[in-house]
Amino acid sequence: MVAYTGQMGFKKLTGGGDGLRGMVTRRLTGERMEVMEVKGQGTCYFADKATEINLVRLNGETLFVESDNLLCTEATLRTGTSFTGLNGMASGNGLFTTKVEGQGWAAVTSNGPAVILRVAQGLPLRVDPGAYIAHTGNLNRALKSGAGWTTLIGEGGGEAMQVEFTGEGLVYVQPSERLTFGGDA
Amino acid sequence: MSYPPLLQNPGGDGPQIWDPYTLPVNDNVNPYCFSVDLNGAYYLQKGKMVAYYGDMRFSGIGRGVLDRVLEQNFNSPLHASDWVVAEGRGKLLLADRAYDLNSYDLEDGNLTVRSGNLLAFEPSLRLKQSIIPGFLTLLGTGKFVAASNGPVHFVEPPVRVDPEALVGWADCPAPCHHYDHSYLHGVIGGIRHLTGIGGASGEEHQFEFIGAGQVLMQSSETVMAEKSVGVVGEQSAVPHQQPTQAAPGLGNLRDLGRQFGL
Repeated sequence: MVAYTGQMGFKKLTGGGDGLRGMVTRRLTGERMEVMEVKGQGTCYFADKATEINLVRLNGETLFVESDNLLCTEATLRTGTSFTGLNGMASGNGLFTTKVEGQGWAAVTSNGPAVILRVAQGLPLRVDPGAYIAHTGNLNRALKSGAGWTTLIGEGGGEAMQVEFTGEGLVYVQPSERLTFGGDA
Repeated sequence: MSYPPLLQNPGGDGPQIWDPYTLPVNDNVNPYCFSVDLNGAYYLQKGKMVAYYGDMRFSGIGRGVLDRVLEQNFNSPLHASDWVVAEGRGKLLLADRAYDLNSYDLEDGNLTVRSGNLLAFEPSLRLKQSIIPGFLTLLGTGKFVAASNGPVHFVEPPVRVDPEALVGWADCPAPCHHYDHSYLHGVIGGIRHLTGIGGASGEEHQFEFIGAGQVLMQSSETVMAEKSVGVVGEQSAVPHQQPTQAAPGLGNLRDLGRQFGL
């Protein structure tokens, strides 16, 4: 929160706001989020390090987002933790990702305005793990390695790890790369 | 085929959603992201790919089959190991730390750019190392992409530019250093220069351009991290940079470590 007008009350929600189960899950999975709840009437302004903010409207779909990139959601949305498998770990994004579902708006931050890319049948997309921020829809993610023996002697292509998305949905990519193990091997 | 009705503002169109058919062809997607319609080969700086559709391979420069192709484009000293070749077909998205990206068309021309700012270029261009350390020169006809912190401004000489704001220049015959001599003159000036006491303005040194051409400036004084372009062989009368980047833990092996990608 950077500013508000009107009457607001702020309450810290312990452990990510999914109750006790959510708290335990977040502790265990390392997908930690500090969450607070704002109640009241007026306008409340949110911002984070002057990063770009992308609004996502959910109508019952699920948004998978890196917890660092989730700024705020409407109270009608539920947040949870989802297992991404070993793909996340190898890309440096952790084994788990945050899941947002329900009806309403979510705000996702990105370093530079996010580019939204459609994935459909026959149109798979490969993304640098450091540039990936979120996705929606029915997508499978699989880690692809572009590394060969040349990577080992330092003459690799610099894009040793890529995440391949197949299925149908949308992928949010930021025009910048986090420093990750996989993105800049 | 139905897509999830996401991101539709109730009263508007919502943000643009791209797919391989709607992505621009060799143009910017937004000020920070560039889309390359790859059909063949493209050279890019390592690690600047953010996403791609299609079938592509990224390989390091300076090995095997590619060497023959490289001889034609890469006249920069061995090993521009910070460069990769993207080969294949599809749409390739490039970005660099959310800096502004611009593409430039050269028509049988020349443009010199700070090595850290150059992001990608078409194989029809030839890349050479500028005599001025830390800069690369592109010659020929084709398109290249360069990054800048803040939008780029084109200025016509005569002009003096802050060294940190300089991105590159085209056709200028004589880039040279310019010092405000009067300010740095004499004992007092020397003390000012060394200590900053008495008001060194921080702007006593500029790059000066004269003649016909174009100078590219960025609207910030954040310098892009310099990319090593390989060290010019020591030879009398050839200006060269001291190889500065010693790989950690490698002592004085210096550039050798980088060649092996350490």
